[in-house]
Amino acid sequence: LGDLLERVSQVSDKLHSLSTSLTNDLNTHIPPMGKIIMRPSMCHTSSLQTPNDKEQALKVPESELLSLIRSLLVAWSDPLAMLLKEAPSLVHPDKSLIYSKTKELQDHSNTLGDGLDRLVHKMGPTSQLISSLPFTNDIGNDKNMRLSNFHFLLSCFRRDSHKIDSFLKVLRCRAAKLRPEMC
Amino acid sequence: ITPPGKPKITSCRSPEKETFTCWWEPGYDGGLPTTYALYYRLETSETVYECSDYHTAGPNSCYFNKNDTSIWVNYNITVVATNRRGTNYSDPVDVDVVYIVQPHTPENVTVLVKADEQGPYLRVSWEKPRNADTSSGWITLVYQLRVKLKNQDEWEEHDVGQQKTFNVFSPHSGGTYMVQVRCKPDHGLWSEWSTTSYIQVPDYI
Ligand code: NA
Ligand code: NA
Ligand code: NA
Repeated sequence: LGDLLERVSQVSDKLHSLSTSLTNDLNTHIPPMGKIIMRPSMCHTSSLQTPNDKEQALKVPESELLSLIRSLLVAWSDPLAMLLKEAPSLVHPDKSLIYSKTKELQDHSNTLGDGLDRLVHKMGPTSQLISSLPFTNDIGNDKNMRLSNFHFLLSCFRRDSHKIDSFLKVLRCRAAKLRPEMC
Repeated sequence: ITPPGKPKITSCRSPEKETFTCWWEPGYDGGLPTTYALYYRLETSETVYECSDYHTAGPNSCYFNKNDTSIWVNYNITVVATNRRGTNYSDPVDVDVVYIVQPHTPENVTVLVKADEQGPYLRVSWEKPRNADTSSGWITLVYQLRVKLKNQDEWEEHDVGQQKTFNVFSPHSGGTYMVQVRCKPDHGLWSEWSTTSYIQVPDYI
């Protein structure tokens, strides 16, 4: 189990780093009306209650942490697919770079999903349940609006991928009791 | 005498993803005694709070203790300067604590000269900064080490991942080496370099 958690948290680590680098690429060109100040609490996953500090996070049982992680990841499969479809028509100088990085994000999410399925298999049934987080598949019609929405969705994904990575690393260290030097 | 100049929030940092501190620069005080206050609002609510600890982190700072600190939520922070003639507001700053994590430097950096069949080598070891809880996995630190001979200009940098030891093989006989270590969270900012450790390699053929 420890090795699987080690590998899975390496993928989640990379997934978050990728989302950060893609956010930085996007930041090089802000649409004329600027980033519409979309409050992160408007992300489609914000309804999912997650711990917000160490004390809360370390109290969450493993199975619940794992279902939080899977709920977050599953909630992003449709939006990532939409972002990939939208990337080529973005009004952004680096849109081809943005397309390839979005593709990389999608690939890493799928790899992470596979790893989590194996984890669920190992960690038992209670980590099965996934909360569904509906996503309205509409990025807007005006080209500046689409760029801003792309940007906003990425900022949401950046935060959620950091949650996924942080929770997996907590799980990894709980499982690493036999190899204390790892944590 | 005039109202105070506009203060500026210069930086916010968290050393361990559990607390954080913001610092500001006062503007011109208008030639009058001027007081400063920091106010913040979380993205998830309209309630405005005032800094609860202006002292722990020294002048012109606000320390957010564990109870005041949440992560994965945006803090909208403003500093207000007030004197008899009026007030002036800083530009607001938006902060999510997870993106401002900069740990303290690694501790107990130790350099020893050791020897094995191939001859002497330098063994460098260190410990994580005390306040970083790595054992629970809440923060994952990676380390970087740099080493050079005293008379050299260029440092030799090594990324050592989560390891807390590093060996320098076939050191120059009689050379004096300088070693520094720093760390950063997996998704955060590099700490300062540790204070330089020196080691003198004995003469050997
Ligand atoms: Na202060
Ligand atoms: Na807290
Ligand atoms: Na982290």
